[in-house]
Amino acid sequence: MLVDVRRWLFWTRTDHRASGTYKWVIQPSRPGLVGRIEEFWRYRRILYFLSYRTLRSQYEGSRFGVLWLFARPLLPILISTFIFGSLLQIPSDGVPYFIFFLAGQASWHTFERSLLFTSRGLSQNQGLLTKVYFPRVMAVFSSVTIAVAWFGAYFGLLILAAFYYLWKDHVWYLRFGPPLLLVPVVIALSLLLSIAIGLWTSVWQLRFREMRYTLRYFTRFWSYLTPVIYPMSQIPREHRWIVYANPMAPIVETFKWALLGIGEFPALPLLCAVGTTLLVLAAGLWYFSWAEASTADHL
Amino acid sequence: MDNLFVDNLSKSFILAKASSDVPIHPRQWVKAARRLVGRAVSEEAPAPKREFWALKDVSFRVQPGTVLGIIGANGAGKSTLLKILARVLVPTSGRVVGVGRLISLLELGAGFDPDVSARENIVMNAAMNGVPKAEVLRRFPAIMEFAETGEFLDTPLKHYSSGMYLRLAFSCAINMDPQILLADEILAVGDVGFQQRCLQRVKEEAERGLTVLFVSHDMEAITRVCSRVIWLNRGEVVRDGDPEEVVDEYQKATWEAADSSMSEQGRHVNRFGRILSVNLVSEAGNDIGAVPINERCSVRIRVETFVRLTITECAMDLYVGNNWVLRAHADKPRRADAGVFDVYFRIPAHFLAQTTYSMNVSLVVRRKNDERDYPLVMYKALKFMAYASDAEAVRTTTKRTAMLAPRLSWDIVTESAKAAGDDNEGEATDESVPGSEAADAAAPAEAGGQPSETAPEAAASDTTRVKA
Repeated sequence: MLVDVRRWLFWTRTDHRASGTYKWVIQPSRPGLVGRIEEFWRYRRILYFLSYRTLRSQYEGSRFGVLWLFARPLLPILISTFIFGSLLQIPSDGVPYFIFFLAGQASWHTFERSLLFTSRGLSQNQGLLTKVYFPRVMAVFSSVTIAVAWFGAYFGLLILAAFYYLWKDHVWYLRFGPPLLLVPVVIALSLLLSIAIGLWTSVWQLRFREMRYTLRYFTRFWSYLTPVIYPMSQIPREHRWIVYANPMAPIVETFKWALLGIGEFPALPLLCAVGTTLLVLAAGLWYFSWAEASTADHL
Repeated sequence: MDNLFVDNLSKSFILAKASSDVPIHPRQWVKAARRLVGRAVSEEAPAPKREFWALKDVSFRVQPGTVLGIIGANGAGKSTLLKILARVLVPTSGRVVGVGRLISLLELGAGFDPDVSARENIVMNAAMNGVPKAEVLRRFPAIMEFAETGEFLDTPLKHYSSGMYLRLAFSCAINMDPQILLADEILAVGDVGFQQRCLQRVKEEAERGLTVLFVSHDMEAITRVCSRVIWLNRGEVVRDGDPEEVVDEYQKATWEAADSSMSEQGRHVNRFGRILSVNLVSEAGNDIGAVPINERCSVRIRVETFVRLTITECAMDLYVGNNWVLRAHADKPRRADAGVFDVYFRIPAHFLAQTTYSMNVSLVVRRKNDERDYPLVMYKALKFMAYASDAEAVRTTTKRTAMLAPRLSWDIVTESAKAAGDDNEGEATDESVPGSEAADAAAPAEAGGQPSETAPEAAASDTTRVKA
């Protein structure tokens, strides 16, 4: 077992740059983690290229281009605000439900988008994968950019909404201060989690057609387990750990706490979420590198 | 010191399930569920994995400066080999060690993005091949010079013509200073001038120490460019060595294979007769597999008839690839007794182009007092190559892509001359018409010891003769 782990970590690098000559080896066993990281670094420009390509493919040809990025989330949120906030009167910890929901969606939807697109990473880039070589994980990693763009759009909307309420209620709902630093941290964490899961689902998506729709059902279901439309304060204190077992729950909750100053800062669950993410990521990298060899055969 | 080592390289593919194996019908669902629960429940043994070995124990070493041609029929494993070298596929066993930068041209312009400018694409392409950006920028002038697309540097590639696209892709690859270049059928595309330039450039680079792996079905290009050829068949190396020899053997083998599988090709047997064989024979009467375009040859169709009958039609269709080039047919019905006889189609000199032809042969026979036709057809009866003999080669290589290259007589007739001698114009041209050549072709050696009764026929392009 130990030998296996060491093999996985350090197994022959693909390239040796020694004394000016550049020597490479191709063999059935793939390079270990160290070799992969090196390789990833060497090919880093591809990551930029792939990211740009995926991003562009989303809004290319549409008349308003990047404006859609803002328009697309706005309408569903307005509808949801009306249903959940006005009709169902779901409490929102003292901030307007629109802002509350927008903040929840900003963190959750960024994750969901990222998950959907990382899962599509391999199948989307099929044409490239069958013709040129680059570290295959890049196809998964590069899909994250779309989610980052979505997050930017949500954040912009949040700020606009905050100004709207400043004008309307003369209250500034966003918070300034050190907790704000947690915002990029939790977003990065959620993106990392989506990559970790995407490493599995992207491989499955190539082999099983069903993945396309099942994944959507799955994320829809998952979103209800996460405090997006309802605040954590609605859950009895003794049952909260059940909700926090879901790694996205502390992420969304922390996001709202850091940005709006509502709810609680779930320190321990957040740490657990970090642990879960790293675990799934490590397993995902292992699985991906194992499945990678036969991936091109399936294309 | 070699710079590319391929040791015992093998690749197997697990064949994908047929769509019928995917559970759709409820009964299939039950079966699938059972299989999940446990094998013990299902009585039938689990189906063995269907494997396909695209490469089996392929080993070779290549010295710097070699242009290594890889030939073989479709499905022989050529592309798989290159894909493994390009790291698109992972080998099942064995290994490859290489020294120096490898650039692959698996498909010209693979990885090019049609929506961004040529400049960005070049930088991108370089990144994919592991070339640092500074180095690309330094090589920019050289790339643009060979590609001849200088003024369109900032135009998105989708506005490029296919020719420009190809030039850019090739130039991009060859100017990245590779030590090993993989080229898969690249030169099959593009115009002839460009192909020549590419081959020329490849040759030059090889002299400087570039190793090239060149896959092609174009035997002419292979023999012209390569310094060594590997022949793959069903994933194994059959021959490895001198281009001329290997290509020769390969072609011979392909023809033999075509020979042996002839029995499955078309309805060449009916109640009254059958086509025994179809061969290409030289002027001297020997069976040949390839013919120089400046020599006459004949197609010999050996037919056996079981009864006395009349051959009403006799035709041969010539194909290049899937293109039907011509149909030659006999001019009048002939009677034939029961027995074996040969039908000759004569092909004049300076008629074929430098390419590979395949041929379908058909005969229609009819019996006395029977109005019905009984066809005898043999598809892909013969495959042969026409080539230019050395003296011709230089002059005719530019016509390589044509399907036929008949040499026709031509004249310059000025208006005044035409007006002056209108009535003896026919005479003037007739002298130089080589059509009569076919008529006085020497009769090929008698086949099968049949008594001959020749009936010379002169036609412009071909003649038919039945010897019974």
